[in-house]
Amino acid sequence: MRTWVLSAAAFAFLGLGVSAGALDQAPRTSPPAPAVPPAPTTPDPAGPAAQTAVVKQYCAGCHSERGKAGGLSLADFDAAAAADHAPAAEKMIRKLRAGMMPPPGARRPADTTLAALADALETRVDKAALLNPNPGWRPFQRLNRAEYQYAIKDLLALDVDVNAFLPPDTISQGFDNVADVQAFSPALMEGYLRAASRVTSLAVGDAAAEATEARYRVPKTASQLQRVEGAPFGTRGGMSVVHTFPADGDYVFRMELHGNACGFLFGGPASGEQIEVSIEGVRKAMIDIDPRMADISEGGLVLKTPPIRVAAGAQRVTAAFVQRSDGPVNDLFAPIEHTLADTQIGVAYGITTLPHLKDLSVVGPQRVTGVSSTASRRKIFTCRPTTAAEERPCASQIVKSLATQAFRRPVADRDVQRLMRFYDEGRTEGDFEHGVAAAIEATLASPQFLFRIEAAEPRRTAGKAVRVADLDLASRLSFFLWDTAPDAELMTVASQGRLSAPGMLDKQAKRMLADPRSATLATRFATQWLRLNDVDHILPDAILYPYFDRTLGDSLIRETQLFFESIVREDRSVLDLLTADYTYVNERVARHYGIPNVTGTAFRRVEVPEYRRGLLGHGSMLLLTSVADRTSPVMRGKWIMEVVLGSPPPPPPPDVPALEQTDANVGGKILSTRERMEEHRKNPACASCHRVIDPLGLALDNFDVTGRWRIKEAGKPVDATGVMYDGAKLDGPATLRAALLSHKDVFLETFTENLMTYALGRRVEYYDMPTIRAIARAAGRNDNRISAFILGIVNSGAFQMTRSDVTETVAQRH
Amino acid sequence: MFITRRHIHRRTVLKGLGATIALPFLDAMSPAGTAWAQDTASARKLRLIAMEMVHGAAGSTAFGLKKNLWSPADAGSRFDLSPTTLAALEPYRGYLTIVSNTDVRNAEAFVPPEIGGDHFRSAAVFLTQSHPHQTQGSDLQAGTSLDQIYAKKFGQDTPIPSMQLCIENVDQAGGCFYGYSCAYTDSISWASPSEPLPMIRDPRAVFDQLFGVGSTPAARSARRKRDRSILDWVSESVAQLKTTIGTADRARLDDYLSDVREIERRIQKVEAFNTSGEVRDLPTAPNGVPDSYEDHVKLMFDLQAAALAADVTRVFAFKLSRDVSNRVYPGTGVTTGFHIASHHADREERILDFAKINAYHVGLMPYLLEKLKNTPDAGGSVLDNTVIVYGSPMGNSNVHNHKRCPLLFAGHGGGAIKGNQHLKAPDGTPMANAMLSVLQTLGCEIDSFGDSTAPMDLNAAPAATNVA
Repeated sequence: MRTWVLSAAAFAFLGLGVSAGALDQAPRTSPPAPAVPPAPTTPDPAGPAAQTAVVKQYCAGCHSERGKAGGLSLADFDAAAAADHAPAAEKMIRKLRAGMMPPPGARRPADTTLAALADALETRVDKAALLNPNPGWRPFQRLNRAEYQYAIKDLLALDVDVNAFLPPDTISQGFDNVADVQAFSPALMEGYLRAASRVTSLAVGDAAAEATEARYRVPKTASQLQRVEGAPFGTRGGMSVVHTFPADGDYVFRMELHGNACGFLFGGPASGEQIEVSIEGVRKAMIDIDPRMADISEGGLVLKTPPIRVAAGAQRVTAAFVQRSDGPVNDLFAPIEHTLADTQIGVAYGITTLPHLKDLSVVGPQRVTGVSSTASRRKIFTCRPTTAAEERPCASQIVKSLATQAFRRPVADRDVQRLMRFYDEGRTEGDFEHGVAAAIEATLASPQFLFRIEAAEPRRTAGKAVRVADLDLASRLSFFLWDTAPDAELMTVASQGRLSAPGMLDKQAKRMLADPRSATLATRFATQWLRLNDVDHILPDAILYPYFDRTLGDSLIRETQLFFESIVREDRSVLDLLTADYTYVNERVARHYGIPNVTGTAFRRVEVPEYRRGLLGHGSMLLLTSVADRTSPVMRGKWIMEVVLGSPPPPPPPDVPALEQTDANVGGKILSTRERMEEHRKNPACASCHRVIDPLGLALDNFDVTGRWRIKEAGKPVDATGVMYDGAKLDGPATLRAALLSHKDVFLETFTENLMTYALGRRVEYYDMPTIRAIARAAGRNDNRISAFILGIVNSGAFQMTRSDVTETVAQRH
Repeated sequence: MFITRRHIHRRTVLKGLGATIALPFLDAMSPAGTAWAQDTASARKLRLIAMEMVHGAAGSTAFGLKKNLWSPADAGSRFDLSPTTLAALEPYRGYLTIVSNTDVRNAEAFVPPEIGGDHFRSAAVFLTQSHPHQTQGSDLQAGTSLDQIYAKKFGQDTPIPSMQLCIENVDQAGGCFYGYSCAYTDSISWASPSEPLPMIRDPRAVFDQLFGVGSTPAARSARRKRDRSILDWVSESVAQLKTTIGTADRARLDDYLSDVREIERRIQKVEAFNTSGEVRDLPTAPNGVPDSYEDHVKLMFDLQAAALAADVTRVFAFKLSRDVSNRVYPGTGVTTGFHIASHHADREERILDFAKINAYHVGLMPYLLEKLKNTPDAGGSVLDNTVIVYGSPMGNSNVHNHKRCPLLFAGHGGGAIKGNQHLKAPDGTPMANAMLSVLQTLGCEIDSFGDSTAPMDLNAAPAATNVA
């Protein structure tokens, strides 16, 4: 557990139960008063003794043996021996740097005294770490869902949804690739077997494929008034998916439309609507929609195509409505994008609503005639035997090449022979392809594919930090930057033992960063760091936010990913994440932000007004920190403390009433979110934490639940003012940004910490902090460019080395 | 000792359906005198099927009560089913425990914004008997459901702890109506108060999970063979890898290896039964969702019966419809959609029409009961060792009330439930009381469930209302 940050000292000042000590006499006002001027007796913190005295005077009151605020006792803290209590020292450094300690309202010495204390602690801890570096250790990683998916795409040119086979990954410290929580279970083992079999049959093709049904769902609140990505032009709504057909054969496409609450077709008043089914953009069926269709009619709300002949392989299938009109609708009530918020209006006359697709099923194949050439088959069958004698050598060549790539290292003859036994088995049961398929299936189920096991030489090197082998280093690099196995060039360099040669690692890392595949730094790393997946869990109230729909939510996530990717692509300063005056929008997002002259679904770069600069102006972040019917300054404040400052607040104590239990309406007056929070904060049990958390979030209260700018809430002007825990005055996004930038070192270290967690597949520990500070300092000399952070991590001992003597207990089995 | 029961051949069950597969050998299939000798209720494998029907029942209206459209007039065991919509269950009355006059108050609106949202809240209440928190977001809150309380305690004994099935297309994420997340409308099975379980609609997906991938016995057998040889190779690879790695990683691989062995064990078990030469009929692996309601329900019944017989799982939650579904059921003679029919405006002829739909739904149950009754199991048949819960969290659907809701149990629950009973609960009894008793009967040591006030004796009608 990384208790040293998680449950750390920050909230010592929550110090509710502390009944003794000087700090208790400190004034407790709300909003928090700026720091109290230093007491005249403050010793000048020049030497360790004076620093210890500062700690005794200002910290040890709450952080006492008995009080142990934040689980930390500083009663015996000796600043001279900071390196001996590195875990405590690191907690102190983080809080001091963030300006969170001493807490608002408590006595605090001059800022320079605190900064000098932090400097001194850092220097001593860093010096000790330099003499005795600890690269840390993690158990071997297994491929998580995302890595499995990317690896299959590289290996077999196949897009496959593994969510159907593999259980969800356990998240630790925000990331899904942390090795020691990756547990094993029989369900996982079975999942691997089923995935191997399914992936193989889709990749090789299966002339014996049985008819099954695959269903794709359209999110209920996705907008279906515009063309969706991938659909032919001239269509609206519906859905477009890439489906892998196992064989050439007949397939039936079944579409269910949305009904209203009484089972009548949503959008029923619209007559003449048609839905088109196309494969790879070519129309295969056009079906008229009977406006009177309903649950109660024969066949319900389901439409079916006749059997359609489709070739094997991945093909884009689209079921979309023919767009019959565009432009404004001349109704008294205009339809809104997400008309399905209330399907009841969908049957009313006088309001223009249109049918919506609910799901699309592919049923088949029937009448299989064979398996056509596909990208996967071309990737697999690099040779074709023309005689029986050529079969086995050809199979052996295929097996060896695939296994080399799958196992991420030159494959032993022994393993090739073993895999060829699967070929032989399959060949006796069926044809040449059947044999190859058997060997591929075994390859995919092998622990050498599924686990990233790094060879160690335990006996020889016990107790030492050792460099990982070049091939293992190649995998670490590749999974860090691309989330998948090394490519041919990296493998070649590594297997020749040249990867650790001077300059080579940097060269490879830079090459890989320039490759489009490094987009996973945005789609995987940043998405998890910034908690973007949480956007899907928030469904803004349809009555209060009628302009929101799933399509907008997805676009907001994409905006943030593209923004992060631009930082990587252009090698910008990491601080630009907070300050950039640009972002990426498509028509939908532009309209949402009030940015003119953007049309279409493609994203482009635009300048943004002052208040929307950086991540704090991104709809994704603002949305994922809201609840359905109101903003949540608490969640926004928590997000900032966690993601930007690396100091998450502790969870609320049990039995704390939720904000919802604070009346939304006092004496007939409807309260704004701020007023409700102030009511809530009257409870002293809540106040001590919330006076830190809330002002951060309230500064963003001009952004509504969906991230749209607003000046009024509940009929009253939005009040975004507040005082940050360090005394800075806040009145909106700009002052908040400035206040956070005054602690930019903390932000940069937090960023490094998260990037390192993702890169190493383990939680960052106190002994990593000297490395993190060193990386951040070096990057600072390089204008904080993101490449400096990435290369800093790649060149760190933690990334290149491992400890081999570890017998830590592994994660609990499920 | 005088042994009367006969040895029932395995072929006698699940007749008339497509492919065959050998299933685990069950105690009850051993010759009389061996398995029975150790027969005790506690050693039996108790099964639970909890089914939800939506929209209440015609019998919950004032007119319906008078005409006995749901429950019979008499409590006790000399009740007459003929005027009721349960008439189709007459051949199984020995297995039948009707519990009438219980309420599902947690499905009612507690605060003004909840008024009218009954259809979008009730399904979540049925098996949890808890009041759902009104939200369209992710902060779902209901209760742990009956089936999951049982599955948590006993589900681990089988390869699959529990399964959730449904008939209607219910899995739309996001908000439904009246400020309720669709999760409340779509799932009756809750692993925890905040964790609704997805319901599976495609019978093929159910089949693959229960019996393995492949539509023919040959295909499934080939699959198992391949899996076994892959597992051998995995074990070899692990053994090799272990020579090159550190202690902790070796321990981690050992963990993995034990999972490999577990899967091997399961495969071996199935194959051992296969080579015993005894085979059982299994439904043909279905291609997808059948078009007809009746075919779909029966196919799901086939799968449940086969899974219980094979002891692949012991717990099913089965959602037979979805609130506000307007399906028309050909064969009932009623041409009005289900939801519209349920809003019968308290007009007698329309209530009678609605009763026809109720009778049709109940009339599908004998198909399952027959299968379970004909499947031998320790101490008798699978039906003897099963509790089937069938009911609805709504009463009079015309006014969306939740009083005098339909509820019945079928099966003897290992002998603890005698059957042939109509229990008429005193006014105001929570349905949760009856469900609490079912859980206790099944061996769950709990003393409250939902809004239960006390357990209910499932074998004796409450004295106050026991009118002969």
